[in-house]
This record gives sequence, structure tokens and C-alpha cells, in this order.
Amino acid sequence: MRAVWQAARAAVRRRRLQTLVIALVVLVSTMTIVVALGLLDAATAPFERAFARQQGAQVTATFDAAKTRPGQLADTTRMPGVAAAAGPFDQAVATLDQPVTVHDPGPVTVVGRADPAGPVDRVNLWSGHWATGPGEVVFSSPPGLDHDGPHAALGSRVTVGGVPLTVVGLASSVSQSADAWVSPSQITALHPTSVQLLYRFAHADGDAEIRADTAALRAAVPGGALTATQSYLDLERAVEHVPSAFVPFLMVFGILGLLVSALIVGNVVSGAVVSGFRHIGVLKALGFTPNQVVAIYLLMVSVPAVVGCLLGTALGDLAEQPLLQQIFHGVDGAFLADSLGLSAWVNIVALLGMPLLVVLAALLPSLRARGLSAARAISAGSAPRGGRALGIQRRLSATRLPRSVSLGLGLPFARPGRSALTLAAVVLGVATVTFANGLAATMTAYGNAEEGNGSYQVEVDTGRAEFGMTPPTHTDPQIQSLLGSLPGAVQVTATTYAPARLAGHAKGLNLRAYRGSSADVGALVVQGRSFHGPGEIVAPPGFLEEWGVSLGDRLTLQTAGRQEPVTVVGETLSGDPDYVFTDWSTALAVSPTLTGRQYLVRLASGTDVGAYGRAVRAADPGLRPSAKVTVNAGATTAIASSTILTLLLGAVAALGVFNTVVLNARERRRDLGMLKSIGMTPRQVTVMMVASMGALGLAGGLLGVPLGVLAHALVVPITGRAGGIAFPAPMVEVWHPGAIALLLLSGVVLATLGALIPSRAAARLTIAQVLHNE
Amino acid sequence: MTSRSVNEAAANGATPKVVVRLEEVRKEFGEAEALAGVSLEIRAGEAVAVMGPSGCGKSTLLNMVAGLDRPSSGRVVVHGEDLTGLNETGLALFRRRRIGMVFQFFNLLDDLSALDNVALAAQLTGTPARQARRRAQELLDELGIADRRNAYPAVLSGGERQRVAVARALMNRPALLLADEPTGALDSHAGEQVMDLLLDLNQIGQTLLLVTHDPRLATRCANRVVDLADGRVAGERSLERAG
Ligand SMILES: Nc1ncnc2c1ncn2[C@@H]1O[C@H](COP(=O)(O)OP(=O)(O)OP(=O)(O)O)[C@@H](O)[C@H]1O
Ligand SMILES: [Mg+2]
Repeated sequence: MRAVWQAARAAVRRRRLQTLVIALVVLVSTMTIVVALGLLDAATAPFERAFARQQGAQVTATFDAAKTRPGQLADTTRMPGVAAAAGPFDQAVATLDQPVTVHDPGPVTVVGRADPAGPVDRVNLWSGHWATGPGEVVFSSPPGLDHDGPHAALGSRVTVGGVPLTVVGLASSVSQSADAWVSPSQITALHPTSVQLLYRFAHADGDAEIRADTAALRAAVPGGALTATQSYLDLERAVEHVPSAFVPFLMVFGILGLLVSALIVGNVVSGAVVSGFRHIGVLKALGFTPNQVVAIYLLMVSVPAVVGCLLGTALGDLAEQPLLQQIFHGVDGAFLADSLGLSAWVNIVALLGMPLLVVLAALLPSLRARGLSAARAISAGSAPRGGRALGIQRRLSATRLPRSVSLGLGLPFARPGRSALTLAAVVLGVATVTFANGLAATMTAYGNAEEGNGSYQVEVDTGRAEFGMTPPTHTDPQIQSLLGSLPGAVQVTATTYAPARLAGHAKGLNLRAYRGSSADVGALVVQGRSFHGPGEIVAPPGFLEEWGVSLGDRLTLQTAGRQEPVTVVGETLSGDPDYVFTDWSTALAVSPTLTGRQYLVRLASGTDVGAYGRAVRAADPGLRPSAKVTVNAGATTAIASSTILTLLLGAVAALGVFNTVVLNARERRRDLGMLKSIGMTPRQVTVMMVASMGALGLAGGLLGVPLGVLAHALVVPITGRAGGIAFPAPMVEVWHPGAIALLLLSGVVLATLGALIPSRAAARLTIAQVLHNE
Repeated sequence: MTSRSVNEAAANGATPKVVVRLEEVRKEFGEAEALAGVSLEIRAGEAVAVMGPSGCGKSTLLNMVAGLDRPSSGRVVVHGEDLTGLNETGLALFRRRRIGMVFQFFNLLDDLSALDNVALAAQLTGTPARQARRRAQELLDELGIADRRNAYPAVLSGGERQRVAVARALMNRPALLLADEPTGALDSHAGEQVMDLLLDLNQIGQTLLLVTHDPRLATRCANRVVDLADGRVAGERSLERAG
């Protein structure tokens, strides 16, 4: 055993570069796998994960304080079937005077709670501290969502129900148990009229069980005391479609990552053993038994592999958290960011799977070497020759290509197995690049359309007296013409919302009406056309699906005492399924008291948005201008995650090429020596080695690009269906001939980058020795 | 013989010009000294055999002349070119133009036919494939192995391989042919064939520098023997060739 260990150590020492390459490849591969699986994990069922992490409330119950006796509510927490409970907490609905992160001015639900932890609904206090003293409030907000500088929500002063409060913390609750929290003593100042209790039950799988649990609660308190309940299943249904849109493409990356990593690691490790055949022969001649030889080789590759695997897992874990935060930043729903975290299974897969893969990849050729006689093993060390390879060499030799190039092109055929594995890695690498490119193009096009293609730059809201804001001094039509008369304005459109109902349906919907230009809607229409006059509506894909409506259908809008027939003339790219877009007169027909709520202002190019905003405020202090938000969270997320994974996968594939060149050069050092002895220049050696991989790169491009295009064509519609987006053809067919040509070249670039360093090393190799001996 | 490098000076009866000049060449590998100050001149048309015990520095000396390795000190001048002043590319171009090398273990490319192995030497200099193959064919013809031109090294006998290697070395009409134990891996019959070949080459004017253990090879092919011991020239003798 000692002899085995020593021989393995000596072998490692003599193969520093190879050992380093194995460690590096395993490291980057493990990192890729950890990040890819981590992304996948975070995007799959994020609600469930976040819910489990926070011990979310399966039922959030609101009781009428006046209808219950003290102690009665506390008794419900000890009812049979209740697994855990928090509360009772006093609860008030009060008016907020100004926007705080995601909360608009208006009524907010405030709960008096002593601390964010507890047996149920462990609120994630991600910024500041909990509201414990008088005058302090914590607002709910998705993690990371706050402004910097003077507009930061944290530290700002607000009034809630007329009481001045300072925002001391920002927190998120997956159970969405409140808009804001204050201390139990502070809540009395807000005149609470209801009481909140948060429950987890022994049986809460499915709506039926939740209904039974709620019924038991209702029975335990006086009639009418339980005023509202919220099931976690409803919350989950409401949010689930957002992240699931990311799952299909993260799946593709995850699978690509696993495949490329496995291929490269297998290739690098088996290559190390195959290139050691001569050495194996020598070891056998020295008297090592076949089993000892296998042990030496397993040790030789396992040591760097295990080191790489451990480091890669650790680095992957380190990188994952900020990466995921970055990637999922801004995606709707706090739960997504709350679901992020290291998942044990990903690390277990990496830590067990990678060494297993390494041992398997080393074992197969080791066992072959085990069976070889010492003499055969020694002669197997030089590159083998095959019938087809020879024919190809003969034909290459007769071409007009420079001889260094034609020699290089023939090299891959001498080691078909190794070349095939390298090629496969390059193919997948190119497919990844292609897929990521297509995805980015689609998401960018989608983001641009969502933003209305620059159809307006400024939104102007009106102050509302009922929320304690200054109301505008002008009337609705006056505001529209006022905004249009200010310098820089080109077009002003008034918009508003009106609730309505579809004849025959209990559920309500909302009309979003436009007065002026509807370019904003027009840019979003992907099927049919925008509305041109009264009686026409445009609807998002989610609406059409949910209500079973198709383009061209005639519907009847209803409000109390009025009805209005409309035709669906267009489908938008995406949008809230409960909103349809109409002309102003259509909305007016069902809601005659309609006035403008928001004005969209298109500015002449070059106009200073800030200056225009100041002019608006000066003209009427009741108007609240803001620049249109231009980030598109979904697109940013998709592009950011695909870029990172593409870079990682590209690095792994390039390392695979690197390794192949190192092995080829080592096995062929006699040939290299001879070639130099007959006058091959260092540059010609470099060209030859790079050409050998460049050919693989070109083949990889030719095979990888169609694969990536195919993956894109398959995944984008799935993503769209999951996310309620109807990608129109121009957003799916994003391939331009120029881009395709560049992508085809990406394989060559990848292979060349990977091959360059070891090729130059081969060119500088001193070969005087190998020529005379061996 | 197509080799037109038959030395014109020799033909004219003038003193043949110096092809190789080593001046106080030393080569150290760490502590060990492989060459400890070797000075040597080889004139055009000569056939010089370097002999000596294993490890005395013969191969190292040959590497210096071929520009495959650089001396630790001293000067190596071949065909008027000072090798110490050349960079790697310069050395490669020098080898291409001036040197042909033959090794004990042939060093043929396994995946090229005999013909393509020989043609390779010319193709590296940019000679078109057709032309290079034509010349390779001529050389194989002259060396008596034309019928084996499409065979691969794996199926050639040792003697045939070595003749292919010699053909490759002659491809670019080198001023100097270097051979390191060219018969070392061959049986006596094949060895003799190669010896005859080298002798023929020298007789039509090819300058030859041989490294060998084998006194028979030396006496048969060389007209001068340099004895090397511990990295130094221990003696020189001129020979009347046996063959
Ligand atoms: N690259 C090298 N690194 C270290 N030592 C070397 C190297 N090349 C040669 N030597 C040493 O230099 C000395 C001369 O070696 P060389 O190969 O020239 O001997 P040789 O006369 O050709 O021997 P042989 O007849 O066995 O081929 C030897 O001691 C050898 O160990
Ligand atoms: Mg030697």
C-alpha cells in the first residue's frame, strides 16, 4: 500500500499540469452544476420553499374584535387539529399618505406584533429593525426592493391613519399577513377593530381540508365573529405562474450544464489514464500487480478531483446566493427572493455525483490497462492508428492547405474517442451560447414591447384628497391640455380604470380606458389589432384563456343598470388577466362618471424628463409626475442568468479543449520532436495544434447552432405558456443570418481559446531528448 | 543520385569549405556536464563518426549541430550560420534548409504512408503536395523502396523504416546529414543495407556526421573518427574506408 501511495504521489508530481487541469475542470464543472441546479431549485416551487422556510400561515384569519370575548380567540389556538398558531394580534385598516416601496397611498392593513419570529409566519426582516417603540413602523416589501438615497423607504416619515410614523424596517411575509406592522402598544393609536390569528393545521393539504379547518374555526367562535380567512393555497395559485415561466429555460441550462460537465470530466479523467498507458507498462515491469496499478491510477486522478469537487461546491455555494439575489431581483412576489437559499440536495448531488463520475471515468480505462501485458501497455502509449484515420490523412496530405494545417486537421482522427467527447462538449457549449443568445433576443424584444417601444416617457398621477394628498386644481380635460401645452410634450393620453362585469359571469373585470393615443396598447398587440373606436376591446392572453374567449368574439359588458356590447379585436403580448383595454367612449358607456386617473406623456426626443416634471409640479401641485420605469424584471433575470451560465459552460468546454491538446501534445511529443527536427517552426506547431481543435470547433458550431435554435424554439413557447405570455412570431424567430454566422464561429473561437495556451506550450517544448531515446 | 549538393569546391579540387565548426562548446544539465568544451571542424564531403561510451555526450553534440538544443557556452557555426544567434524560428528554418536527421528509432509519423512521410519534409516549406510527392517518389526509388511507398510504418521492416527516414532527411537537399545510431535498432542485415546507403551518399558528396557505438559502421562509412569521452574530444583518427 505504501508503494502504491508513493508511486501515485510521484506520478502526480511528474504530471503537475495534468493534475492541475483535472482539479480545475472538476472545480469549474462542480461550480456549474451547483449553480445550475441551485437556480433550478430556486425557481421550482419557490412558494413552497419560502412558505416552509417562514413556517407560513396556512390560514390567516381575521376576527371582529367586538364579537368575541377575551380568551375565546386564544382558545382556538389550542383546538384539536391546530398544529401551531400565532396571535391574537390587533389589526387596523388605515390610510397611508404616500407611496412606500410597493404600497400606493391609500388603505393599508396594519398589525400590532411584538416580534417578527414565532411559531407561524416568521417574517423575513431584511432591512432595518423591528418596530418595537412608539412611532415606529415596518412595511412589507420584497427583499431588496428599496431605493437608495433620499427616496429610500427605510427611515422615511409617513402618516398612517393620521398618526406620524417612521419606517424603521422592511420585511416580507410569504403569507402576506399585513402591509405594515407596529408594536402592540402602538396599534391602539390606530383604533384596531379586528384581530388577526395565524394558523397551521395538522391536515391542510388541498382546499377541502382547508375548508374543514376554517369551518372548525368558525364554529369555535360566536356567529359572525370570523370575518375573513385567507388560504395559503389561494396565495400560491395567485403567484405561481410568475416563477414557473423561468423553469423551462433554467431546466435547459441545468441539463446542458450537467451534460457538459460530465462529458468534460469523463474525458479529462479517462484521458489522463489512457495517456498513462506507457507508465502503466513500466509500473508493471517494475513488479506492481495489476490491482496496484489500478489503485495508483485511481489515486492519481481522485486526489485532484476530490479537491476540485470540494472547492467547486464551496465556491458554487458562495456564488449562488448573491447570484440568485441578483438574478431574481425585481421579479414579482417577495416569495421568490425568500425562497433562495442553499439547498442540501444540490450539494449532495455535487459532492457524491462528481467523485463517482471521476472514479467511473478513471476505472474503465484503468481496467483496460489492468488487462494489458506490460509490453502491450508500453507500446500502447503512442497514438494508435485506425484504418479510416489513415485514409483521411492521405487525402489531407494531398490538399493545397499548408501542411501544418492539414496535419492538424488529421490529428483528431488518431484519437476518435477523445475527439468525439471533446466535440460533444463543444457542441453543447455552442448550443448553450446559441440558446442563451436567442433567449436574450426574445426577452429583449419582449421587454421593449412591454415598455411600449418608447411611446411615452412620463406618467403623471393625480393627488387624491381621500388619501390626504393635495388634489389637482385643474379638471380632467384641463389637465390633459395643460400637460400638452408644457414645453417638450408631443402627445398626452389620459387613462383610467373602470370596474365592470361580463354578462353571464359572476367574477368582475377591469377596463383600462385610453383617451388620446393608444400607442402604448398598440405596441403590445400581437394578434389582431388595437381598438380603433367604441365597442372594441383588446385583451391579454391570460384573459382569453381564463374566460374562454377568442379574437372576434362579441361580449357584453355590464355595470349596474348599463350594458354595452363589445368585440374582442386584439390580443396583447401579456398582461394581467383581469384587465382589458378599451377606448374611452366604451368605458364611458358603462361608467359615465369616469375621469382621468393617469396621464401618459410622450416627449420630443432630447427633452429633459426632470425639467418637464418640475414644470408639471409648478403648473399644478396636485399633479405627481414620474419617469416611466424602464427595467424589465423578467428580461433582466433571463438575460442575467443565461449570461452567467453561458460563461461557466463556455469555460468548462474550453477547459476540455485545453486538456485534449495537453494530452495530444504529450502523447505526440516524439512526433512533435521529429517535426521540429525537419524544420517545423514554432508557429507551424502552434498552427497545427490549434487547427486540430479548430476543426472540432467548426464541426461543433455546425452541430451546436441547430441544436441551440431547436432548444430555443421548443422552450420559448413553453416559457410563454407558463408565464401567460403570447410570444408573437418575430419574438421567437430572432435569428438573423449575421448572428447565425457569428454563432457558427463561436465554436471555433471556443476551441481556439482552449487550444491556444497548450499549443504554444507544445511549440516551445524542448524535444531534443525524446528524439534519441524511448 | 539526385542530390546536387555534390560539393562544388571538392569537385574543383580546392580545399573543401568548412560545413561545421564547433568552438569550445559546453553543455550543462544542472550540475552534470554533458559537453565540457568540444572544438571540431567538419569539411564538405567528409564523413565523420563520433564514437564513445554511453553517456559521453554524443547525442548532445549532435543536438548542438542540429540546433535542437543550445550550448551553455561556445559557438556552433554550420554552413556559415552562427546558430547561437538564431531564435527558435530561425533554428527551424535553418534545419529545414541545411540539415537532414536520421534517428535510431526512425521517428516516422505512424498515420502517414512512407511516401507522405518523405514528402512531409518538403511540404513544410510550402512545396505543393504534388511536387513534393513526385520528389519523394524519386528518392524512394533511388533508395530501393519504391514498392513500399504506400505502406505505413507499422508494416515496414526496421531497415525499410530507416531507409524511409533517410529519404525524408535528404528531401530538402541538406548540406549536412546527421545520423544518431542509425543502425542501432536494426539487425545486422538491415544495418548493412543502411550502412551501404550512407556510404553511397557520402561518395557522391553528401557531408555526413554519424554517432555510433558500432566500430563496423564507423570503419565502413566514415573517413574520420572522433572519440568522445566525458564530454571531451579524446582523440581523432583518419580512416581508409573499408567499403
Ligand atoms: N535533457 C537532459 N537533461 C539532463 N541530463 C541530460 C540531458 N540530456 C543528456 N543528459 C546527460 O548528458 C550526458 C550525455 O548524454 P548523451 O545523451 O549526449 O549521451 P550519449 O553519448 O548520446 O549516450 P548514449 O550512447 O547512451 O546515447 C548524460 O550523462 C545524460 O544523462
Ligand atoms: Mg545517444
